[in-house]
Amino acid sequence: MSSSSTSSPAPEQAPAGEPQAREAKAARPGARALLLRFLTLREGSIIVVTLLTALYFSAQTERFFTHDNFISLLPYFAPFAILAVGEVMVMVLGEIDLSIGSVFLFAPFMFYQFNEAGLPLVVNLILALACCAVVGLINGFFIEVIGVSSFITTLGMLLGLGGLVLIISDAQPVAMPGAEVTSRTVNVTEIVNGQEITLQEKVNEVGTFAKIFGAGAYSQLIWALVIVVAVQVLLTLTRWGTYTIAVGGNRLGAKEAGINVRLVVIRNFVLCSLLAGLVGILEATRSSTVTPDTAGAAETMFRAVSAAVIGGTLLVGGVGTAVGALFGALFLGILRDGLTLEGVNADYLDFILGIAILAAMVINIYVGRVRRRSGHG
Amino acid sequence: MAEHEDVLRVEQVAKRFGPVTALRDVNLRLRQGEVLGLLGDNGAGKSTLIKILSGFHKPDDGRILLRGEEVELKSVDHARSLGIDCVYQDLALVNELSVVRNMFLRRERVHKPLPFLANRAMKQETRKALDQIGVNIPRIDVPVARLSGGQRQAIAVARTVNSDADIILLDEPLAAMGAKEGALILDLVARLRAEGRVSIIMIAHNYVHILEACDRVNLIQDGEITFDKPTAETSVEELNEIVVEEYRRARLAAVGGDDTAGR
Repeated sequence: MSSSSTSSPAPEQAPAGEPQAREAKAARPGARALLLRFLTLREGSIIVVTLLTALYFSAQTERFFTHDNFISLLPYFAPFAILAVGEVMVMVLGEIDLSIGSVFLFAPFMFYQFNEAGLPLVVNLILALACCAVVGLINGFFIEVIGVSSFITTLGMLLGLGGLVLIISDAQPVAMPGAEVTSRTVNVTEIVNGQEITLQEKVNEVGTFAKIFGAGAYSQLIWALVIVVAVQVLLTLTRWGTYTIAVGGNRLGAKEAGINVRLVVIRNFVLCSLLAGLVGILEATRSSTVTPDTAGAAETMFRAVSAAVIGGTLLVGGVGTAVGALFGALFLGILRDGLTLEGVNADYLDFILGIAILAAMVINIYVGRVRRRSGHG
Repeated sequence: MAEHEDVLRVEQVAKRFGPVTALRDVNLRLRQGEVLGLLGDNGAGKSTLIKILSGFHKPDDGRILLRGEEVELKSVDHARSLGIDCVYQDLALVNELSVVRNMFLRRERVHKPLPFLANRAMKQETRKALDQIGVNIPRIDVPVARLSGGQRQAIAVARTVNSDADIILLDEPLAAMGAKEGALILDLVARLRAEGRVSIIMIAHNYVHILEACDRVNLIQDGEITFDKPTAETSVEELNEIVVEEYRRARLAAVGGDDTAGR
């Protein structure tokens, strides 16, 4: 809700407002000022759009606003929020990372490979993420040192790494190590009508590692929230974030000011890859299988990029928000989940999603114009 | 340090960008506490020279002596650590960042032990620095994109003057300024000159400004310093005559009708 932690220049009284605007504001100062203040947050418009969408589906079907549905909504949303937040860090630079789709597949396969070598789960995790970091490093090297555009570099990486995953996996799905579901039978004693009855019940369990890394009901949500907050803090309250915005906003100026542009770009590509790898492992653990679905890789990537853009991050660089990306992903998740609940034919789903994304962007841009006109760009 | 000792000396510096020779053979001296005016036509090499001294470009030839010792300026950070700071012609401001963030770009104050930005301290210092110049910027937490050209220029100058630098390079600090804001910057330079703590190289196009604000004037033509006199010994007329002469030569050289070469 409006408890977004983002700090913003508080526009109590717009000094540059036209006379009419001022009069109108004077009429109902409290509500109007509050609304304006909220909308001047870059995230404001997508939060409004997301809430409206949730309200719409709540009104349409009573099954929407339930705990069960909330749980089934999470996989539609949490992984994309994490991917989108990584993408934000790259897009603020004015670059793009298309390779996250393949990194997402690559990480769990490397995890599997290390596990086959007999290493413990935590070590597999660290090594798999290290491999993802190397992918980010290679992306960064081509972009900053050789000078290939990020679009082309990461497009090549998307295809190449996807192919590598097929080679490593023989295009066969495997079981995700550490995510095995163990069933055991326990005797449950109940007292029915004064008589003691012992029944056998089957209990499914996964290991602690799996619970933390994706299989627990709220695991992905917690990861997503923690990462969104961390990246938002990184972006707004640290040198790292300031330099990211500086390079995206004025690359030459950043260089003249003494910022190591190359380092700033490369480390953000590494961060983006790392987050994509983490999501890959979370998702593989949740579904307990590792599937070499290279066709789905591009779709995963596009959803994450959409979430970032819908959330208010500009493709041209200099501007971006992690909280916005979270809501962008939530909006897409709610839309998909709500339409499914309504029983919309799967064939229509993408069609409606596409239109809804465009509509959300139009509202975003319109609100952005209002924001600029009121002098709070 | 003796009064006339050179704080900075440039010897036979050359710089080429591919087939273009920006600096041919530059020799320049900056004395302790003086303000040196650098004049020259567009493309004569002024900004290239400034960017070499700020550590942004590396010279192909020649050497740079800082307080008598030869130095190789490896980067902007390195030059800054040696006390050289620069206001670039394009100001090096980031539109999307606030006034405060721009004031401290690459010089951020951070908390300890966790290196989060110390916003309050930076805000206070920014306010102080801007007040010192006397420029009116009502809100310092807004992106600099919203400010006028003169305000932006004032911020770029303020951040350099406010640093620990003792050699300050000003590349056309008056370019985007109205008369009032320009006067503020000239006042600031005059104050620094009177204090004598920092040494300044200032590029400007306006001879009157140069003669008023500087101790000495150098003219750079075609990648070489061709003129070096104390401002007291020269005049607007003399400087004008040299530049008009250069313009004539350029017109003659541009046979075949390319008249724009002299501009």
